[in-house]
Amino acid sequence: MFKEIIKGMAITLRYGLSRPITVQWPEEQKPATPRHRGRHILHRYYNGLEKCIGCELCAAACPVGCIYVGPAENDPLNPVSPGERYAKRYEINLMRCIFCGYCASACPTEAITLGPQCDFANYRRERTVLTKQELLEAWPKFERSRGDMNQRGAGADQRSTGKSLNPGPSPRLAWEAQADETHEAPLPGHGGIPVNVPGVIDPSEESRA
Amino acid sequence: MANKTTTPSSSEGLAEAEKVTVTIDGREVAVPRGSLVVDAASSLGIHIPIYCAHPKLDPVAVCRMCLVRVGKMPRLQPACATVVSDGMVVTTQSPEVAKVREGMLEFLLLNHPLDCPVCDRGGECDLQDFAVRYGPQTSRFPITQKSHAAKAVVLSDKIELDQERCILCWRCTRYYDEITGEKELVLVRRGIDTVIDSFNGEPLTSDFQGNLPEVCPVGALTHRQYRFQARPWDLQRTKGICPECSYGCNINIDARDFEIKRFASRDNPQVEDMWLCDRGRYSVEKWSHGSRVRHPLIRAGGEVREVGVDEAVAEAARQLGEVLRLHGGGAIGVIGSPMLTNEELWLLQRLARETLDCHNCDHQLDELGNVSADEHSLGIAEIEDCETVVVLGAEPEANTPVLTLRLHKAQLRRGVEVRRVEHDASPASLGIKGKRLVGVIADEVHRAYAADMADALASGNTLVKRLTVTRGVNGRGAKDMGMLPTQGPGYSRVTGGKDGRQILHAASAGAIKALLLVGAETVLRGAGILAEKALAKVDVIIAIEPRAGIVANAASVVIPGHTYFEKRGSVTNVEGRVQRVSPALPPATAAPQETRVLAMLAAALGATGWGTGDPFEVNTMLSQAIDAYRGAGNGGRALWKRQGEPR
Repeated sequence: MFKEIIKGMAITLRYGLSRPITVQWPEEQKPATPRHRGRHILHRYYNGLEKCIGCELCAAACPVGCIYVGPAENDPLNPVSPGERYAKRYEINLMRCIFCGYCASACPTEAITLGPQCDFANYRRERTVLTKQELLEAWPKFERSRGDMNQRGAGADQRSTGKSLNPGPSPRLAWEAQADETHEAPLPGHGGIPVNVPGVIDPSEESRA
Repeated sequence: MANKTTTPSSSEGLAEAEKVTVTIDGREVAVPRGSLVVDAASSLGIHIPIYCAHPKLDPVAVCRMCLVRVGKMPRLQPACATVVSDGMVVTTQSPEVAKVREGMLEFLLLNHPLDCPVCDRGGECDLQDFAVRYGPQTSRFPITQKSHAAKAVVLSDKIELDQERCILCWRCTRYYDEITGEKELVLVRRGIDTVIDSFNGEPLTSDFQGNLPEVCPVGALTHRQYRFQARPWDLQRTKGICPECSYGCNINIDARDFEIKRFASRDNPQVEDMWLCDRGRYSVEKWSHGSRVRHPLIRAGGEVREVGVDEAVAEAARQLGEVLRLHGGGAIGVIGSPMLTNEELWLLQRLARETLDCHNCDHQLDELGNVSADEHSLGIAEIEDCETVVVLGAEPEANTPVLTLRLHKAQLRRGVEVRRVEHDASPASLGIKGKRLVGVIADEVHRAYAADMADALASGNTLVKRLTVTRGVNGRGAKDMGMLPTQGPGYSRVTGGKDGRQILHAASAGAIKALLLVGAETVLRGAGILAEKALAKVDVIIAIEPRAGIVANAASVVIPGHTYFEKRGSVTNVEGRVQRVSPALPPATAAPQETRVLAMLAAALGATGWGTGDPFEVNTMLSQAIDAYRGAGNGGRALWKRQGEPR
């Protein structure tokens, strides 16, 4: 019996002295695995055109109905995406999303993928509906903004820049204001959003900037 | 696919007796002689893929998609063009047929661009569906060698053509040949280079272009209005009635995000026969815009106050009651609108006549004279049974464009003689004699000429039936409901009152002290400066109005109304067909529907026995009051007694 206690305590002692595997999140972050399914990214081609053609197949494939796509016709002289059609509105409700990745599988142009970011806690419900502005890769320096591929998964611009923190108009608010066409995303201090919006700040952001 | 009737739907008892028995895939079925194999199969629930065949068009058998084995015939036969015969044995499901279908689809897909993700037809495309169901899973043709044609060719302000997607089924050219009688689309060039294009490259000018994308089995012809608006699975479909004219075309209202995206046809052979006009089909946008009245308002002393519905109704009743007490019911004018439902119109005239003791009620401005049920005894489908149809003036076809297609069909398929004459053409000059059934079609302003014409033509064996084209979606219902100055519900005689224009004249002269306006904005706008004068002069204006405008800006009490697509109720079309409408959009206001508001108003004025104002309850009440509506139900014609004819 005595032998067993020593044996057990030895294991405890060994783990007590070894380096802990717990990470002090969010100050410290672990790299995401390459096929991690976190927050969605809308990709661009290298010439800056959006890959998304607004076909709504992601919305059709989505088992929880969290994707809204509002397509529109491209201006041939100043196209947003190759071809005739693009997504004028693209919204994902992260509260509903179950991160199954069916949208990425359904996408005919590989425009949407699931990235590394997985922390979406927020104080404002409206902010959990991501708008196209937030989902889309930065441009023209989108390659750099993707960061280290190995460190950040297959992802793109998921660093929390000030710009991407602006919540887009919620569909309901936009509809009430009847201004979803021309409405700009309300900034803190406008549209009922408090001036000091608490946001989640990526600590690696400062070091990299 | 809808059942194709080779015998016209309106003829009764024709070819009913003769049936032939065919065996399809080992199952026997008795179908009328002259039916096509594809229809016989569909009556058994057996699906045969078709592209060029269309239930309303003659067969041509160009797409070769429907090939089936028929008896011992040496080759496969097109099911869409083969007429059944007694004892015929048809095989639609065999390795041989499956191989042919696979081959046909491989051919069709050879040069078909794979742009389903951006195609407006994606999701409701026959080529997509059949390729999944019957097609080969792969293509032997390299994608890089596909031949390309013009994309997004603008054919007119309404239609866009994608020549790559076209499978050359000829449905669109045949639609022009057989349904409208115009010839605007043609096949140009030959062989692999064949494409559909407009004649001489000129823009399409037809009034019925909107049907082209619906007859097109693929996404070659698409609506410009609906371009990239939605996917079929986004749309919430509501059965409705087209709001543009009184013809009562059955439509499907497709809405997405509280906005109507398109009107699609809903085949009713008795009314529009699945063809819509462009005016109706592309009237979508006006329902999504416009500033709405969202809260009840009381305007007093230059100040506008937002109030609750109860308070607004109480205030309206107080103001109307005061005018009634001081000046009597003759000082009140009631104007409805032909856009209201039967239920609302019936309650409104009841409120006017019973509660307000007022006979000045109308739904439009013109003096209509004596209206009777005889003026719409001719049914729309009955036009095909006439021997001669006389159309007085251009107005009937201008007001209800789909009538033109019915006349063309009657002419083409049934040999009906269509006489388009002036309003005041003399019956003798037409030389119509000894016919069995003659139809006389006029618009409501020229109904007196039509009555004269009908009287002159009727003799001995000739039966003359009239059709009067009314204005506004429910112009016929408004007359049936008795929203007329001299006639009550069911065209009963009542104490005469002022008509619409007289009410406005009296109001601007100060003789009328109060106006009760329900949805009357569109009616009053037609009166121009007279309406503005009247609205400025009268102090008590009670308005139930969905949109801001001259009425809502002048009214002393405004109660928010509902637009046509937010209501439940029934509307009556030109031929007296009572059809139900149900809300396709959520209401823009929390105020209850007009029927309920009218019932509340009546109760506040001290009337009893009005019920809750639920549209179904009102419908029951009105069909008890008006005999003809009792048997109409949803989609049936109101059955009026013809003069001198026992029911």
